[in-house]
Amino acid sequence: MKSEYNSIGKNIQRRDIVEKLTGQANFCADIALKDALSLKVLRSSRHHAVIDKIDVSDALKIPGVVNVFTAADIPGKNLMGIINKDQPLLAHDKVRSLADPVALVAAQTDEIARQAIKVINVTYTDLEPIFDIEAALAPGAPKIHKKGNTLFTRRIKKGDAGTAFETCHTIIEKKYMTHAVEHNYIEPDAGAGYVDEDGTLVIYASTQNPHYDHKEVQGFLGLKDDQVRIIQAATGGGFGSKLDLNVQGFIGLALYHLKQPVRYVYTREESYLATAKRHPFTIHMKTGADKNGKLKAIHIRAYCNTGAYGSYGIAVASRSAVHGTGPYEIDHVDIECACIYTNQPFCGAMRGFGAPQMAFAHESQMDLLAKKLGMDPMEIRMLNGFKKGSINGTGQQLIDSVGYPECLEKIMPYYEEALTNWVTEKTTPFTKRGIGIGGMWYGIGNTGVQNPSTARIELDQNGRVILYTGCADIGQGSSTILTQVAGEVLGIAPEAIQLVVGDTKFTTNAGATSASRQTYISGNAVKDAAEQLARVLLTEGANKLKVSKTALSFGDHSLQIAGHPERSVAFDWLAKRIHEKGVSLSWQGYFDPETIPLDLETGQGSPYATYAFACHLALVEVDVLTGQVSVKKIVAAHDVGRAIHPENVIGQICGGVAMGVGFALMEAFEFGKTLSMKDYHIPTCADMPEVIPIIVESVEPTGPFGAKGVGEPALIPTAPAILNAVSHALGKRLYSLPADLESVLQASIDSGHFGPEEKM
Amino acid sequence: MTFEINGQEHTLDIPADITALEVIRSLLGLTGTKEGCGIGECGACTIVVDGKSVNSCLMLGAQLDGTKVLTVEGLATEASLAPLQEQFMKNHGVQCGFCTPGILMSTHALLEENPDPDTEEISKALAGNLCRCTGYQQIFASVKAAATASRDDRITGGKNG
Repeated sequence: MKSEYNSIGKNIQRRDIVEKLTGQANFCADIALKDALSLKVLRSSRHHAVIDKIDVSDALKIPGVVNVFTAADIPGKNLMGIINKDQPLLAHDKVRSLADPVALVAAQTDEIARQAIKVINVTYTDLEPIFDIEAALAPGAPKIHKKGNTLFTRRIKKGDAGTAFETCHTIIEKKYMTHAVEHNYIEPDAGAGYVDEDGTLVIYASTQNPHYDHKEVQGFLGLKDDQVRIIQAATGGGFGSKLDLNVQGFIGLALYHLKQPVRYVYTREESYLATAKRHPFTIHMKTGADKNGKLKAIHIRAYCNTGAYGSYGIAVASRSAVHGTGPYEIDHVDIECACIYTNQPFCGAMRGFGAPQMAFAHESQMDLLAKKLGMDPMEIRMLNGFKKGSINGTGQQLIDSVGYPECLEKIMPYYEEALTNWVTEKTTPFTKRGIGIGGMWYGIGNTGVQNPSTARIELDQNGRVILYTGCADIGQGSSTILTQVAGEVLGIAPEAIQLVVGDTKFTTNAGATSASRQTYISGNAVKDAAEQLARVLLTEGANKLKVSKTALSFGDHSLQIAGHPERSVAFDWLAKRIHEKGVSLSWQGYFDPETIPLDLETGQGSPYATYAFACHLALVEVDVLTGQVSVKKIVAAHDVGRAIHPENVIGQICGGVAMGVGFALMEAFEFGKTLSMKDYHIPTCADMPEVIPIIVESVEPTGPFGAKGVGEPALIPTAPAILNAVSHALGKRLYSLPADLESVLQASIDSGHFGPEEKM
Repeated sequence: MTFEINGQEHTLDIPADITALEVIRSLLGLTGTKEGCGIGECGACTIVVDGKSVNSCLMLGAQLDGTKVLTVEGLATEASLAPLQEQFMKNHGVQCGFCTPGILMSTHALLEENPDPDTEEISKALAGNLCRCTGYQQIFASVKAAATASRDDRITGGKNG
């Protein structure tokens, strides 16, 4: 079937590909600024302490040390945080974790800066440190922040879960635990900057949100809008961690005082210590069903340890609570998820905002229920899965794009084939095979809050189209797909569009590259801008060609009478005419998804305008003698609304699966123990299964050409599917992530080494 | 010391304690080669020295003396990308691009030595190169496509010759 679109759905060339293939792409550490000073932060040596005194006099005596800054040198507001501002750029009264920055050195070389931080003398009075949630919530626990140790609790209450459980035929109640996880993008955090001839502080950042960085740096320094300029450099992955400031604030502070180029490149060790982690969760989940397997009630009490600062913790608690039901209809819902401060280094956003942790729990519960009820895992999901018209836990009806049933249907033949043939194939006596299903839903955009995007499209006098977007492309390919959206509206090749991305001098705020929101939200903002420009072009084209606007169509940088390409008028001619008439050639687009804030007590509302859905099937082999789990295949069906760039979607799915394999089987960041990459293992190519990506297009009417999002959904179902498969193989379930060698081996021993008597 | 990098000879005086990576990035300004961990775990700093792929963060600068080095900057000509780069482009083997130079170097060395590798051989060559974005599948597709294209070229070349 011929596509109705020229650009949408095409695997066009990635915008920045040549630079990235030839080594010409400039990441922050590659930016050469003449005579740039090196920056280095001294971090706290205490978990929790009052700072009595910071003595930098010895550091200042070292030749090559230019200056040392402390909180006293910050002229503006010394607090950051995108949701709640609780994190100082440099600690002023107390430190709350070993990651807390205390002083900032500027020196002629990295080596001198390293020497300098060793001789800064900080006097502390220790306070009692708290590392786990129980201690943080104990009566009389020391307060890490003035307001106490509970940062936020999201409650979702619908129906009467207490009473409903009394009528349930089958109830499963379990506790699940997940670990802190490091994003481990391959580019360590870095930045560079200089002061330009106008006195503007220009900062190159490795970032997911340049316009947020801009506001924060301005705030620290008490400067006006145009006195700070953030330019997003090539960004080597983010996965949520580069939503927080990494070095932007330090660079800004040094530029403010020194007016000299500076750079700060984290070592991997500093990146590990100083940047956010995925929140470890403790989840108590109780799920009840009737005798037919229809879910009736769910009760969840979940706690996430956000460490010393909030970062995105409120969003993580909120999103995980909303997503606690899984992609299933449940009438009676009682969910509370609390985000708790401790003295661990802080946790923040990581691909999925708590939904991956919650999915591990709800998908385990589904398999446990199925087993107890004598049902098939696919059958119970089919029976309860969201479909058009379903109402979720927040009381929101899902109306249009609800592709969960289709995802399950696409998985079904692979599931049946694996169950019938693959699982039963003869292997070695010590190899057990199992298969597992993981389902998920994921709200696109921020939870129950306004989160608009803007974009600008300009036609120059030569008829060239220029797209300005604040949307940070961190490798996922948003720049490419935004040109596809604009190109589709204006009838031009996406490759012909000039792009200005993530430069606060020229672009306007597109919000964060997070929450799988850029395709849907910035895609719509770009579409809006392009449509406004198109209207102006159509008016002038109709004037020139003397036909109605409806008779016109876009050609190659021209408007033509439909079916008569010879009767056309070129963009450059139109641009000049429009300009002469005093009409703008530059149009701003805007989109804010329709949401209704969640009620603070009941969590009722409409948290997202649309949702993505997915289902993964995992095929695993477990070596019962070693505990080694080998994932053989993942079949991944994803409802993305519309795949604007299918190969990019596949790239997200395969990359998400890899991160899911790590989350399931190997990744555990141990604060104080995980210091470098030799202590932390992410999947190599040898750990990867064959991935079969399946794109489901349940078109979203409010999406740009029907698109939703896929970045985070790609990761979420993988770990649940793998854990369900391991459980299927061993006949023994694991309730804690990661399912590493030791825990799988223990499960294998507990199950008698010989696996289950019967497959569930 | 004297060595050749991307076809150009360089004679340098270097401190004894700096790595090959520092020579390449800081002294020669060839920033295509990346530092991801500094301890030989991630492979972002992979270069090809006398035909073998090595982690340049683990190699002393002085060890470059008398060698022939290839970095990512030496793959393409001014006129066109190398066939391997072409296939990474066509098969969407790049996302954030930070690991890409190292991955290109490892697979270039592999294909020079073994023009027709199977999946296991590619896996062995790439096991020291971490990528957090792609899940490796499109990277494997890129490498296989490069091998196939080069095989087709050889066959066609044979027929024509």
